[in-house]
Amino acid sequence: MMYELAGKGLKAALDAGADEAEILLIEDHKTSVDIRKGEIEGAKENISQGLGIRAIVNGAVGFASTNIMSHIEDAARSAVRSARVRDRDPDWISLPYASEYPKVSGTMDPNIEQMELDACILQAVKMIEGAGAVSGIIVTSGSFSRSFGKHLIMNTNGIEVEEKSTGISGFADVITTEGDVSTAYDFAISRKNDLDFTAIGRNAAELARRSQQGISIEPHKTDVIMHPFAFADLLGSAFIPSIDADNVQKERSNLKGKIGEQIATEKLSITDDGLLEGGIETGRSDDEGVPSQRTKVVENGIFRSYLYDTYTAGKDNVKSTGNASRGSYFSTPSVGPRNFIIDHPALDVIADTDKGIYVNTVIGAHTANSISGDFSVEARNAFTIKDGQIDRPVKSLMISGNIFEMLTKVNGAGTDIRKVGGIVTPSIRIPGMSVVG
Amino acid sequence: MYRVDFFDAKIIEGTTTSIVLDNGAIKEVSENYTKGAGVRALSGGSWGYTSVDGDFDLSKAIGAASELAVGMDERSHQEKVEMFDISKPVARNMPKVSLDPRDVSLEEKVGLLKEIGARAKIEGISSTSAVYSESSYKVLYTDSTGIEGEYELIRTGFAISAVASREGMYQAGRESRFGVTGYEIFEKHDAFALAEAAANTALQLLDAKPAKGGNLPVILDPELAGVFAHEAVGHASEADLVLEGSSILENRLGQQIASPLINIIDDPTLHEYGFFPFDDEGTQSGKTVLIKDGVFNSYLHSRETAAKLGGEPGHCRAQGHAKPIVRMSNTYIDNGKSNFDEMLEEIKNGVYLIGSRGGQVNTGEGVFQFNAEKGYIIENGQLTTLIRDVSLSGKTLEILNNVRMVGNDLTLTSGRCGKGGQLVPVTDGSPHLMVSEALVGGA
Repeated sequence: MMYELAGKGLKAALDAGADEAEILLIEDHKTSVDIRKGEIEGAKENISQGLGIRAIVNGAVGFASTNIMSHIEDAARSAVRSARVRDRDPDWISLPYASEYPKVSGTMDPNIEQMELDACILQAVKMIEGAGAVSGIIVTSGSFSRSFGKHLIMNTNGIEVEEKSTGISGFADVITTEGDVSTAYDFAISRKNDLDFTAIGRNAAELARRSQQGISIEPHKTDVIMHPFAFADLLGSAFIPSIDADNVQKERSNLKGKIGEQIATEKLSITDDGLLEGGIETGRSDDEGVPSQRTKVVENGIFRSYLYDTYTAGKDNVKSTGNASRGSYFSTPSVGPRNFIIDHPALDVIADTDKGIYVNTVIGAHTANSISGDFSVEARNAFTIKDGQIDRPVKSLMISGNIFEMLTKVNGAGTDIRKVGGIVTPSIRIPGMSVVG
Repeated sequence: MYRVDFFDAKIIEGTTTSIVLDNGAIKEVSENYTKGAGVRALSGGSWGYTSVDGDFDLSKAIGAASELAVGMDERSHQEKVEMFDISKPVARNMPKVSLDPRDVSLEEKVGLLKEIGARAKIEGISSTSAVYSESSYKVLYTDSTGIEGEYELIRTGFAISAVASREGMYQAGRESRFGVTGYEIFEKHDAFALAEAAANTALQLLDAKPAKGGNLPVILDPELAGVFAHEAVGHASEADLVLEGSSILENRLGQQIASPLINIIDDPTLHEYGFFPFDDEGTQSGKTVLIKDGVFNSYLHSRETAAKLGGEPGHCRAQGHAKPIVRMSNTYIDNGKSNFDEMLEEIKNGVYLIGSRGGQVNTGEGVFQFNAEKGYIIENGQLTTLIRDVSLSGKTLEILNNVRMVGNDLTLTSGRCGKGGQLVPVTDGSPHLMVSEALVGGA
């Protein structure tokens, strides 16, 4: 059914004058159960579908999308029309060609697809109960969700790749109801039905509790250890944009011309991995049908590679790294990371720190300068570290710095590796960071 | 027919066209045609919600949402939810569109955007980008109490960004204008001048100095003060956050929470980007005064929160056919009497913070952090050194109380606000504000 529909769309695009065309079809089913003020508020079912068509006319790309499947031929003609108002793009080479796809595992769990409403409610209740086990805490808002779906990418160069996937996630925002007001959150996401929802509620609750009665600190420079949530947030906003080949080609990257240079401490390596077992961004292909792969981005501190989709790869005369990414069927592909894995020798990083600050989460990471890497963010649920132990909570703390400078200074990592969406990282220690209390 | 206490549906249908220009070349031309419905059903105290795409069967969708609601109510019984009774809305006071963007050819739009991009490409600018977008949507609302309404709204807008680089340093300048208008938005705003302004900001920032942090007197420009009004005060006024215990404004009605100089208003009837004739639960839109002369006056409500807390509904919105939640529209701090020169004279030494690169707020604890686009050090009442990567953070109520002067130059800025994973069009604004003390962060 999907193949037949896609075939019809491709034919309509060719008939309207396209030289090449590509169709992405998506069907997705999501169930979520929401928590509000310690109670189950309701359930949602989102049944979504849609298709996006790229049509190429004379080296110019047009795009159209719709969520009405029966409009596929209209959308194809609209994509051709969009292409015709554009000039030929001298950098356009072609859509990708058919090739072999690797096997991936851990991305489809039938238990998630077959989960009944009762089981969904139960997981949300577990988060409430987990938080409730800590006194004086309420879950202000939270959500359980599971999804299953499939997509098909088909193009006129012979690509035909269909993928099925599942996902499950939970998050809980909590607040203290006794004493000093303090908030915290925790979340987890997986492709398999293997999450501990009770722990999500409990972790958030304990963190909010421990954050009460925060002290003020004087501005100074000190060792800062960032929890995976905080570090992933900063990497995503301040570092990843600079390895996007599109930004590099457009002079919007601090890493232009730095391949082969030392950009981080030699103990640090970063891999972009589309094949990670059970990874959030794992799949046989990227979002334009290029086979997934592993790409060394940073190897022992040496910068090895930018991330490419087919278009940006064509410009640099290299092969796509399988990093075409689209948020939905209504977006055209752009470069995006897959599973982005941070690797550094691990130790009990808090015990190894005499004096410093531990930061659980940050707010405002998206305000970082994505080109220069400068950031100034508010640290949440921060604690002082004294003699290798978490000591006192800190109220209202700003940390600022530069992500590129940070990477050259990293001198410790924890054993607590987390999947924060696609970013997979332990806690990371950076000496000499500027903090303002 | 459906065993529920209440149900409603929002049906939308329409098109979006966008054009993206990157470094002078068109990067993307896309058209999207969408149709869908979001259906809610309430059984006792439990909500069921279903969204459907494309060619759907509305009664089937209502049935599915009802089944979820009844199922939830049976399995996890909650306190009964009441819905505030409303009267049938009228799509009045609609913005007049003098030039329907659908009547302008794609070629003409592409040509104009290229010219805008070219204006930003002045000497010293290494890259530019520009975006044009238009949408026209028909919205239909209906509920189980017999309320129904329908309207069609056209939105257009454009954004420009320019990046300047020198010796490995990069700085960006941005300008954007979006509104509930047609293609005449280009007559209302001089896109060419704005493109040059974005480029000049980027160039200026190359020479700006990194800021030093500390507790300092500050002047906020209208854009940054507007972000503060929206993020720190507006969100904390949303009754759903109050009910879930995530707002410092809980139990604050009638209390002095700000300097008596402060008046904050949310007004969806203004013909700005956050305009709507009735909200996504069928409530006729109206102006709401959040803070009056420093006294907290009202929350923002949905039909559910208005019934529970007392108050007027009319601020419940959804992105497309998602589930509606309590939202702002056009939020602003109202004009005072001071002018900018008087503020400089009064502050003597401090920091002038300009523009916004976004920010975040924790409404439960009442703390926020915003990054300004740039700033100036103020010495002896004079703007001296230009600074960059400067941020403002602190406690919402402290800032509100520390306001010493409110300007008479209210300006609104359009944007999109994210909450619960949904983006809706809004504007926020303010006149200049002088604040006696705030935490300024630097790089």
